[in-house]
Amino acid sequence: MKRVLIVDDAVTVRMYHRQQVEEIGLKAEEAANGVEALEKMMRDNFDLLLVDVNMPKMDGYRFLKEVRQNPDLMSIPAIMISTEAGEQDEAQAYEAGANYYLVKPVQPEVLQSIVNILVGGTR
Amino acid sequence: MALKKARDIQKSKPKEERRSLKRNFQGLINQLNDPDIQIRRWAARELAGFEQAVEPLCRRLQKEQVLSVQESILNSLLTIGGEEVVKNLIPFLRSDDAGLRNKVIEVLQALPEAVAPYIEKLLRDPDSDVRIFAVDILQVLPHAQVPEWLLQVIRTDDHVNVVAAALDRLAEVGTPEMIPALLEVKQRFANEPYIAFAVDTVIERTKSEA
Repeated sequence: MKRVLIVDDAVTVRMYHRQQVEEIGLKAEEAANGVEALEKMMRDNFDLLLVDVNMPKMDGYRFLKEVRQNPDLMSIPAIMISTEAGEQDEAQAYEAGANYYLVKPVQPEVLQSIVNILVGGTR
Repeated sequence: MALKKARDIQKSKPKEERRSLKRNFQGLINQLNDPDIQIRRWAARELAGFEQAVEPLCRRLQKEQVLSVQESILNSLLTIGGEEVVKNLIPFLRSDDAGLRNKVIEVLQALPEAVAPYIEKLLRDPDSDVRIFAVDILQVLPHAQVPEWLLQVIRTDDHVNVVAAALDRLAEVGTPEMIPALLEVKQRFANEPYIAFAVDTVIERTKSEA
């Protein structure tokens, strides 16, 4: 089963995204910030990252930059999901290494369809 | 408390030594702009002993790009503490640098009594991002008024993500008396599945806590 790592400091957001991801047959893991996410990525393999921007300890931009610089992790696709809807925020996300940018709150069908594409199908 | 400590040290020293402390202070302020990272970091750390260092430290923070120096500055500001620090850090909530913004939020969270008088104004800021950061400050703020502030947000704020941030915090501090206000939010944002999900989660948690 393909695995998605949900990185967000908001517990209800993690639960909501987990529900969407599991509904389409993927396994979800959670991390509350970039540091915790990197630790989990050292132990387990993931097929996709869902990443918030504003988080304590390590924000989403810095986390994605770290991922993209690590030869073992750099090819994992990432969707950045932020409350910030400005063009500059989106540009900054792509610059940090995001493959897709979504603005919160995300409609379930939109999230599920993008997730499905980026993991290359759920089977 | 470090704030008192700096003042007490200076008062208790003989005149000559006080002058040298003053020179030392100015020297440290100058070193905050040194091209050498180690010197900037050391100066930032040493300035934790001077309450009058708040403004110069915040001025340096505006242009400082090196994470370890940023951290030293913020640690010193946290040590100094008090309203002056809060007043000078609040403008950083509008910074484009997400990392810096989040670190500033962490410092403000650690100064609950000093930040409390500013929360209501921040929660009424015209910029929804600033209102979200104000709710973020409340995420781990150990202050008795937190539930009341959050209730005010879910009742009055029209921005879905400001309300969403407040709901997330209420998942931890919500009480059964808040259920009518929570159900109202669900109605106000009837087209947002996330809000419905978050409200249901908060209600479920408040019931299980009760």
